[in-house]
Amino acid sequence: MRHFNTFILISPWLLILLTFWAFPIVYSFGLSFTDYSIFGRISFTGLSNYVKLFSDPSFLQALKNTLFFVVGTIPFTTTIALILAVLIAEKIPGHKIFQAGYFIPSITSMVVIALIFSSLYAKGGYLHLLGKMAGLPVPENGYLFSTKTALPAIMVMDIWVAIGYYVLLFLAGIKSIPLEINEAAKLDGAGFWRKLSSVTLPQLTPITLFVLVINTIRSFQIFIEIYVMTKGGPLGSTSTVVYFVFDEGLQKFNMGYASAAAYLLFVIILVFSLLQMKLISRKGGAL
Amino acid sequence: MSKGIGRITLTVIMSLVLVGMLFPLIYMFVVSLKTSNIFGDITAMLSASFSLKNYIQIFSRGVITRFVFNSVLVAIVVTMGNIIFCSMTGYALARKKFFGNRFLFISATAVLMIPQHVVIIPVYILISKLGMHNTYWALILPWLVNPLGVFLMRQYISNLPDDCEQSARIDGAGEFTILFKIVMPMCKPALAVLAVQVFLTNWNSFLYPFILTSSPKLYTLPVGLSMMQGLQQMDIGQLMAGSTIAALPVIIVFLFFQRQITEGITAGALRG
Repeated sequence: MRHFNTFILISPWLLILLTFWAFPIVYSFGLSFTDYSIFGRISFTGLSNYVKLFSDPSFLQALKNTLFFVVGTIPFTTTIALILAVLIAEKIPGHKIFQAGYFIPSITSMVVIALIFSSLYAKGGYLHLLGKMAGLPVPENGYLFSTKTALPAIMVMDIWVAIGYYVLLFLAGIKSIPLEINEAAKLDGAGFWRKLSSVTLPQLTPITLFVLVINTIRSFQIFIEIYVMTKGGPLGSTSTVVYFVFDEGLQKFNMGYASAAAYLLFVIILVFSLLQMKLISRKGGAL
Repeated sequence: MSKGIGRITLTVIMSLVLVGMLFPLIYMFVVSLKTSNIFGDITAMLSASFSLKNYIQIFSRGVITRFVFNSVLVAIVVTMGNIIFCSMTGYALARKKFFGNRFLFISATAVLMIPQHVVIIPVYILISKLGMHNTYWALILPWLVNPLGVFLMRQYISNLPDDCEQSARIDGAGEFTILFKIVMPMCKPALAVLAVQVFLTNWNSFLYPFILTSSPKLYTLPVGLSMMQGLQQMDIGQLMAGSTIAALPVIIVFLFFQRQITEGITAGALRG
């Protein structure tokens, strides 16, 4: 009887866990070895989807763009967020307002953010006009219509939108530094820079690595801003792996093929996270 | 002396950053109140004419009313579902010894690491096969319990004393009475964190509502907005009015529940 009650208590989670989390992972693994599409019959095709991916120029471009996005945003997001968090922790006047204000973009709907920036980046939009006034070689039709500037423009937006979230995490990390360590540093006469380099930064190593892991997982899956702002264009210059999966699987209905691309990304993300987590446990354990 | 100047410089720099962080949202709001063309003129935002015409227009078309209704309905149902189901699971995991307890708890943590966007194809097929594509079920059912919530509730309940539960049990109270009448009232702080977190995530959610629905009757606000963008007769002022309607509830919730939001986010982080 007791076990029956327990079973009832956990059954909603169990059911949803198995149906919507566990099953899709297994199912898409299976699908990736087939030519499944909603039309016609399904047949086993072995590794051919994976082989095809590596000679598919649009997949390779999506993969390249995704890697460029990850490598080109994360160092900036992390560094800027860390600097802002350290400064806010100094309790300068208005630090609470800064913390709240910086955070607001990161909880705003990504669709809304993407719509706002689409119009700022458009021909005659504010950032387009500003770029012109600053004498920069801005593309005539706005940033999102040039193969050279579209992806970097989306990356700048992403850095801007994500910073506040990581500021919050770094601040939580700074607050969790034991008071005694700071007191000891003060007694030893350590100034701001000395304290930063000898106390704050080393103590923040675990949270920094955590920030890197979650930001990596998130950035590899970039999709919403691509869909809303460029639909992968111009000429595939902003297509990402998740956009490719969406396009192949849910617009062209090559679901087996799309699943293979998704699984490849899954493995890439897994490898990256495990590597980073290995690094975390070596650098002195979780917070 | 120099320290004072340093702090003033710092405050000025941080204020400039703040302006930069908030400018796009201010832009959204100002443009939503403009009916004139704002492109090509950097001073257009400063002109004094404001009107609610854009808001009236998008609502009188009726379409956005439906998006707002769907978003509110789905967010409320999903939030309530999480409050109930995460509590149930968290309670069982914290208090009951049963085979697989540890495994289920670890699963909640492990699932958090799954990159959600890579399983869009199987989830799409699954939902279609279940006959739930383009129904409210697709927007609600998969999100009724979430791993972070299970984790949060399990940790919180583990740290509560269990004497009240024990004496209620001796008095013959059933498990659900104990959970709803004794445990959950003690969990209010954790439930507030959970509710705010789930509400915001769900309100902003785009990818799954987008792939799992295909008729405007079922679109949530973010999905509807992304579709409105493509319409010819939709101008930037109306689009920004719709965006403001999507962004405002989030900002209001944030201003009121800043502490809960911070806790929800750092609970996930400090877990390590």
